[in-house]
Amino acid sequence: MPTEGDLADDGGGHAVKGKLLTGNAAAASAARLARVDYIPAYPITPQTEIIETIADWVREGTMDAKFVQLESEHSMMTAAGTASLAGARVFTATSSQGLLYAMEMLYNVSGWRAPMVLVNVSRALAAPIVLEPDHNDVLAARDSGFIQLHSETCQEVADMVLLAYRVAEDSRVMLPAIVNLDGFYLSFTRERVVLPDQKGVDSFLPPYQPPHPLRASQPVAKGTAVMEGFVYSYFKYNMHAAAVRAKKVFSEAARDYKELFGRDYGPVEGYRLDDAEYVIVMSNSFTTLGRQAVNRMRERGVPAGLLKLRMVRPFPTEEVVALLKGRKAAAVFDQNLSPGSGGILFPEVAASMYHVRDRPQTILPVVGGLGGKQLTSDEMTSIFEEMIAVNSGSKPLAPMFLMRSEEMAKVKRAVALAEGGS
Amino acid sequence: MMLRVRFHGRGGQGAKTASRILGDAAFNDGYYSQDFPIYGAERRGAPVAAFTRFSDGEITERGFIFSPDIVGVMDDSLIDDPLANPFAGLRKGGCAVVNTTKRSDALLADRKDATIIAVDLTGMALKMLGKAVLSSGIAAAVARVAGIGESQFLAAVAEELREVGLSEEMVRKNVELAMAVYGQLAPLELRTEELPTKLELVPLAVVVSGEGMEDVTRTGNSAVRHTGNWRTFKPVIDYEKCTDCMICYAYCPESAMSVREDGRVAIDYDNCKGCMICLTECPLRAISQTMEGGTR
Amino acid sequence: MSTATRFRTLKDMPKEDYLSAGNTMCAGCGGILAVRIFHKVLGPNVAWVNAAGCMTIAMSYPLSPLKSNWIYTAFASAPAGAQGVRDALDVLVAKGKLPVSEDMKVVVVTGDGAAYGIGFQSTAGAIDRHLDFYYLCYDNEAYGNTGFQMSSSTPYGSASKTTPPTAANPIGNTHKKMDLFEVWRAQGAPYVATLSNSHGVDFLKKVEKGGTVKGPKLYIDFAACPTGWGYDPKDSIELEKLAVQTGVWPLKEAVDGVVKHTLVPRSLLPVKEYLKRQERFSHLFEPAEMTDVIRTIQSSVNAYWAEAGAREGFSVKVPDSA
Ligand SMILES: Cc1ncc(C[n+]2csc(CCOP(=O)(O)OP(=O)(O)O)c2C)c(N)n1
Ligand code: SF4
Ligand code: SF4
Ligand code: SF4
Ligand SMILES: [Mg+2]
Repeated sequence: MPTEGDLADDGGGHAVKGKLLTGNAAAASAARLARVDYIPAYPITPQTEIIETIADWVREGTMDAKFVQLESEHSMMTAAGTASLAGARVFTATSSQGLLYAMEMLYNVSGWRAPMVLVNVSRALAAPIVLEPDHNDVLAARDSGFIQLHSETCQEVADMVLLAYRVAEDSRVMLPAIVNLDGFYLSFTRERVVLPDQKGVDSFLPPYQPPHPLRASQPVAKGTAVMEGFVYSYFKYNMHAAAVRAKKVFSEAARDYKELFGRDYGPVEGYRLDDAEYVIVMSNSFTTLGRQAVNRMRERGVPAGLLKLRMVRPFPTEEVVALLKGRKAAAVFDQNLSPGSGGILFPEVAASMYHVRDRPQTILPVVGGLGGKQLTSDEMTSIFEEMIAVNSGSKPLAPMFLMRSEEMAKVKRAVALAEGGS
Repeated sequence: MMLRVRFHGRGGQGAKTASRILGDAAFNDGYYSQDFPIYGAERRGAPVAAFTRFSDGEITERGFIFSPDIVGVMDDSLIDDPLANPFAGLRKGGCAVVNTTKRSDALLADRKDATIIAVDLTGMALKMLGKAVLSSGIAAAVARVAGIGESQFLAAVAEELREVGLSEEMVRKNVELAMAVYGQLAPLELRTEELPTKLELVPLAVVVSGEGMEDVTRTGNSAVRHTGNWRTFKPVIDYEKCTDCMICYAYCPESAMSVREDGRVAIDYDNCKGCMICLTECPLRAISQTMEGGTR
Repeated sequence: MSTATRFRTLKDMPKEDYLSAGNTMCAGCGGILAVRIFHKVLGPNVAWVNAAGCMTIAMSYPLSPLKSNWIYTAFASAPAGAQGVRDALDVLVAKGKLPVSEDMKVVVVTGDGAAYGIGFQSTAGAIDRHLDFYYLCYDNEAYGNTGFQMSSSTPYGSASKTTPPTAANPIGNTHKKMDLFEVWRAQGAPYVATLSNSHGVDFLKKVEKGGTVKGPKLYIDFAACPTGWGYDPKDSIELEKLAVQTGVWPLKEAVDGVVKHTLVPRSLLPVKEYLKRQERFSHLFEPAEMTDVIRTIQSSVNAYWAEAGAREGFSVKVPDSA
């Protein structure tokens, strides 16, 4: 959802119109602009279009890279990691079951401190199997040591891929990164995207130069076993520190990016927050629906606002605190579910605020959009209504799980068909 | 009263079994008890450790014993092995039982505050079992020093050795050996005191000051490990008989042999593990073996 | 493929060691010996890609016995790790970002558990893609690192921690050892060979020969394992020899699918001679000899050599299996 008018600046002072691209095409285009060397790949809906596009470009010679289709995502991630250790700039993409199938390797690749960019096109996890998105897949990788950048628009997808390389490969970071986009809502949706020009990208993104790549002349051993917990702790603490540093590195990179391409990105983004008293916290493509809900509440005279989490790892605690403190109430919209606990991001946001003196009196946990469940604008505004009701004391705090009555009626019919009876 | 016992051995010597025998024995004798090995990829010959705690009250400790009341050292070559460091943290007034042929005062001269007991367990085992099986002997020595009842202890020996699959005959012989060791020693009145230590926590900022990547760029640096300590027997080349055929060199799994400029093979004793493949394979029987150290 | 060799006797074994002393494998380990000899033929410029197993522990931070490059990946995907390294080197050289002198031989080294089992999916993919790499499997016929549980490579009649001989199930492992050599050959790998450390010259020649072949090359090394098999480490080479002399471990190679035995024993020793020296087969002899099981093993060895002889035109005198 472009917010800055129809025309954007290409960095050279020229207004450009951009073009209609899907989120998948935006991801592939950014990988090409990043002059990626190597793409190990494996198909899965709704990501497949990314690797098909790249395979096509490599074959026709418009992308100078090696493309290889592996036999699984586990293998794909292994090859991605070892290629990065050997000094290649690596791009790959997956989704859902594929990300989980690769999960063992995510921890290895980050432990190797092998930077690369993995685009995850979110899709809810089986069982039951479904094709539409929620964020249980990408959040399952939350603790893996990957930097995580989540996108709201197709434009952001392209920009995040380029920023992710800058951050991941920075010598202060040296960690892999995931750029997330929602299946269908972004992956297959065409909207206006302004791609940066190659010259600009070349100056933004220096060549990948890891400190100790595998080399014949200077051999190195990677991923050696450690036998003692304190040595393991040392390396893990260092990974943590590198991930924490990634936030500052991101901000530096974003400054350069803005200078070159005109678009401004922070780890979080506020929408109509200036005087906002009721704030919804969310991420990914449904944030657009959140903005619309804010506008509708504002029309009704409610001082509503939105806080978008663009960076999920490292968690932007300071930014969240700065933008939520002093508000009356907040709600965390989680498009994911940890059964038996609730939304996954809620506790992170709530924990960030715990020691803040003027924190919102209420932080409302909301779960919705699982399996890509569509959300109407009334459903979105109901989150604000609930926030206000709870905060004014007219209702006790209880987590919200979004489901509409007409949806429930359809579910009931389906269950009856499945199980027989009336 | 709680006693914390740390056994040190080499992979294959039975440190874990010793810790379990003692654990069972204490349990049989009415104590709360706890035993466990260091879980790692234990290779035959490599330093290993195992632990037993027992107490007349509930045990509220877990994990590695940093300050033992008693250490049981199954192999005196471990004393100088920095990877094993068997006396580390031994409490003031504590006791070390060492399997050795050396005299006890030669073992830990700088620790006048601890009791050192030297027993030639290997000698006894070779005599009574025909093999250097050490678990029952070291457990017996420690159990006796710790004041555990004889019948409870002997039942534990039989129980554990059956568990690891020894034949009834070997179990019987081990019980006899255990009795002999047990009978040779007397209980100690242990009044121990932890060595003073000072906890200094390192702030995260210090931990992460470096690059923090797990790279080994000095590849081929393993010779400092000195796996020569793993040896029970030492291969010795008789250069009079040797014809430089290089067969032993070819089959040494350790790269512990080299071919010198003059064509003669040489053994790197710092790292030769004493597998004796070279001895077996030498067609001219030019390699012989000698016992390492005093223990064996 | 060249037939000239620089290896005629063991004295031709290169004197340079790329494996330093001081590794953490058991004394007498056949697996690490295989790595040592293999490396001598390959020379210094190697990137090893490892899957979980005993060898993983050999490379324990901060000490690296190998002088060359090393990556430990995971249990299941070492061949994919090799793919990444190979492709990265190729693309960097092609783009002029890396001098050719930095190129390396990419070698997967895993145990049988990875090669025959959990890593097989990844292996199949690498063969399919005709990846140019060496696969050295040190085959100790079980999961050694976790304490000797059965793998698809564990032979019939062997005890393991998960196939213990019991009164109800006295044989131990009742599956036949999977034929990894044939699986690779069937998939079109251009070079497949078996090795035994005990037959050093044959070993050296095969690694040398594979070096002239582009594509996936498998070496299955019969890696005696004193700890898992239960024998004195001094006998590692003796047991490997016995496995060859009894015909249990045939030495052979397949070049572009054509199998040739590189050592044809004139007559085989009875398998009993090999079995009875190992703890893992002791239940076949104690308390009473399980003659039917030993006979089954003998007759499968005999059948193997009869068939191989018929195919390649040799005959081997085999022990009685009746
Ligand atoms: C995914 C996964 N499952 C299980 C393990 C545990 N594991 C580590 S090594 C190993 C056995 C390896 O056997 P093999 O490949 O034969 O090598 P060896 O240990 O005999 O050298 C197992 C089961 C693991 N590391 N990863
Ligand atoms: S005993 Fe011989 S073969 Fe074994 S490690 Fe020592 S030198 Fe090498
Ligand atoms: S095998 Fe024997 S004869 Fe040959 S080099 Fe070694 S010691 Fe000398
Ligand atoms: S268990 Fe076997 S394969 Fe593993 S290190 Fe020991 S001898 Fe080698
Ligand atoms: Mg194995």
